[in-house]
Amino acid sequence: MGKRIFGDPMLSRDNSVACNNCHVKAVAFADPQHALSLGVDERQGIRNAPGIANMAFMKEFMWDGGVYHLDFAPPNAIENPLEMDEKMAKVVWKLNRNSTYPAQFRAAFPEMGDTITSPFVLLALSQYQTMLVSATSKYDYYKLGKGELSANEMEGLQLFKQKCAVCHSGELFTNQEYRNNGLDTAFADEGRARITESAADLCKLKVPSLRNVELTDPYMHDARFNTLEEVLDHYAAGVKQSATLATELHQGDFIGIPLTASEKKLIVDFLKTLTDYEFIQDERF
Amino acid sequence: MKKFLFLSTLLFGVLFFSACKDEEETKDPGTLEVNFDNIAVINNVQQQLSLVTPGSTDYAYTNALGQKFNINLLRYYISAIELDGPNGEHYHDHMEATASGSKGYYLVDESIPASQLILLEDIPAGEYNKITFTVGVDSSGVVNGASGGSLDPATCHMFWNWNSGYIAVKYEGQSDVSNGGVSGAETVTGDNPHGMAYHIGGWKDIPGGVFVYNNKRLSLTFDTVVKVESKEAPELHMVFDVIKMFGSHHNIDFTGNHNVHKPADGVEVAHNLEHAFAYDHIHQ
Ligand code: HEC
Ligand code: HEC
Repeated sequence: MGKRIFGDPMLSRDNSVACNNCHVKAVAFADPQHALSLGVDERQGIRNAPGIANMAFMKEFMWDGGVYHLDFAPPNAIENPLEMDEKMAKVVWKLNRNSTYPAQFRAAFPEMGDTITSPFVLLALSQYQTMLVSATSKYDYYKLGKGELSANEMEGLQLFKQKCAVCHSGELFTNQEYRNNGLDTAFADEGRARITESAADLCKLKVPSLRNVELTDPYMHDARFNTLEEVLDHYAAGVKQSATLATELHQGDFIGIPLTASEKKLIVDFLKTLTDYEFIQDERF
Repeated sequence: MKKFLFLSTLLFGVLFFSACKDEEETKDPGTLEVNFDNIAVINNVQQQLSLVTPGSTDYAYTNALGQKFNINLLRYYISAIELDGPNGEHYHDHMEATASGSKGYYLVDESIPASQLILLEDIPAGEYNKITFTVGVDSSGVVNGASGGSLDPATCHMFWNWNSGYIAVKYEGQSDVSNGGVSGAETVTGDNPHGMAYHIGGWKDIPGGVFVYNNKRLSLTFDTVVKVESKEAPELHMVFDVIKMFGSHHNIDFTGNHNVHKPADGVEVAHNLEHAFAYDHIHQ
């Protein structure tokens, strides 16, 4: 049922936009079409829609971490005038008037009572989203001892561990912290500071998971890079100094991450092993 | 003996307590109705609040800076209520936050008289002279996800989506000195020339964290004791004074930021809540 709601444009003001308009399965639930997401009346949002795989393992949500529980991610989209521009109460009202949802909800949540209420709508969406686990990429099979990486991919993995894994760490490829990775000198998006209200967090954004990163272009919160090559060029030569730049990107006199052209290529080869074709073809989602 | 009993519950737990209990003359647990009266104290006289329609330029109230204002909407959460007595009596309200409902979180709304009466039940018989409560909803009401009842994010109108958590106190109204331009409010639009919105929130009581915590845990002592047992139906009257909310620790200047929607901007009003809430009287 969560899947049905996720795909239902009824959640938006003019019944035109569903969750899966911006979180598309074929690209690991990111937005393949719009750099900055597009909501009702073709209104443009302020950030790029991230893929929503492996949400079950995340502590905080959104680029600035302002959402503390997966249940509270949907109201953020539904009530945002730039996204679905609808009131949660209205969504609940529409669902209650629908000919099939009420019975479906009562069957799924016997403890609910007769009328659908918002926490159960949110629970259904969370249950669906926590099912979206991506752990069957080429890299995963290699880790499980059931598959091989090519020589280049292996070399890319080693380089990635040395140069990137301080932030993109662990099996989710994120330490779930907030960093300024040097995109700008002046800050258009307050980032984490919007939540902590501390100048020390200006322009720090959540380190994104890199699973399925080959599919989730364009990249960065503001979608400024179209390819992984551009991302690597940024780390090698485009990182800009500012008051909140991550210390990891500022070692000694060097700003950025030293990378040769062939190292960049090897890292991209490795990143592509994180693409999970079984996940994006899974009939259950 | 009672003191000893109290200590022993702390030390040895409930089993020991119930074993000793038989020795005492037993009275059955009772209820206490807690009333929250929203008032304005003007020239030392308490006045009941009256709400105006949004946009109204009738100003019944004046802050400590002499600025006139009125009220469209006033709403706040009271949660985690505890009672204590001079002889070690103790009661804490049952707290629950699940999709099916919530308990122990009360949303007091000036426009809904019934919301201003909180009935506490199953209070151990005895005498009480202190109430403690949180203004706002702490992490226990947020971290487990969406809840129903008074916490339902679709109906409470007290939830911040972008920084998920509950607003503790929401005031909206007009002042003749405010130059409007309010955004993100329920009853005040940007073109309301004198509109004001004070949404006071910030619940992350994370030790060592950088977050602004604006919920307030208040303890208020009574000038007498209230007797609770099954044969009584006592009422406790608390007051919330809007004049003090805007002027006690800090004088809030309505010509300044009157469009408050984030924790850091609400710190001074939050601090004033310590004086805005007061014990008033008891009906035994
Ligand atoms: C108009 C496009 C749009 C729609 C429709 C939309 N989202 Fe999003 N979603 C976004 C954007 C953009 C972000 C990132 C926002 C930010 O960080 O501020 C996001 C972020 C998220 C996140 C957090 C991901 C993370 O890694 O932190 C979740 C979960 C999510 N959306 C779920 C949903 C659900 C469920 C729905 C349907 C109720 C939905 N979205 C509808 C654009 C959209
Ligand atoms: C200092 C911590 C840090 C290091 C080191 C780091 N990154 Fe990042 N990375 C981030 C942050 C933060 C973002 C998101 C920034 C934004 O959106 O503005 C990001 C974004 C990305 C993205 C875009 C993902 C998306 O979905 O938009 C890719 C790809 C990426 N990094 C790859 C790498 C690679 C490859 C390396 C090593 C060469 C690396 N990163 C090193 C912190 C880091």
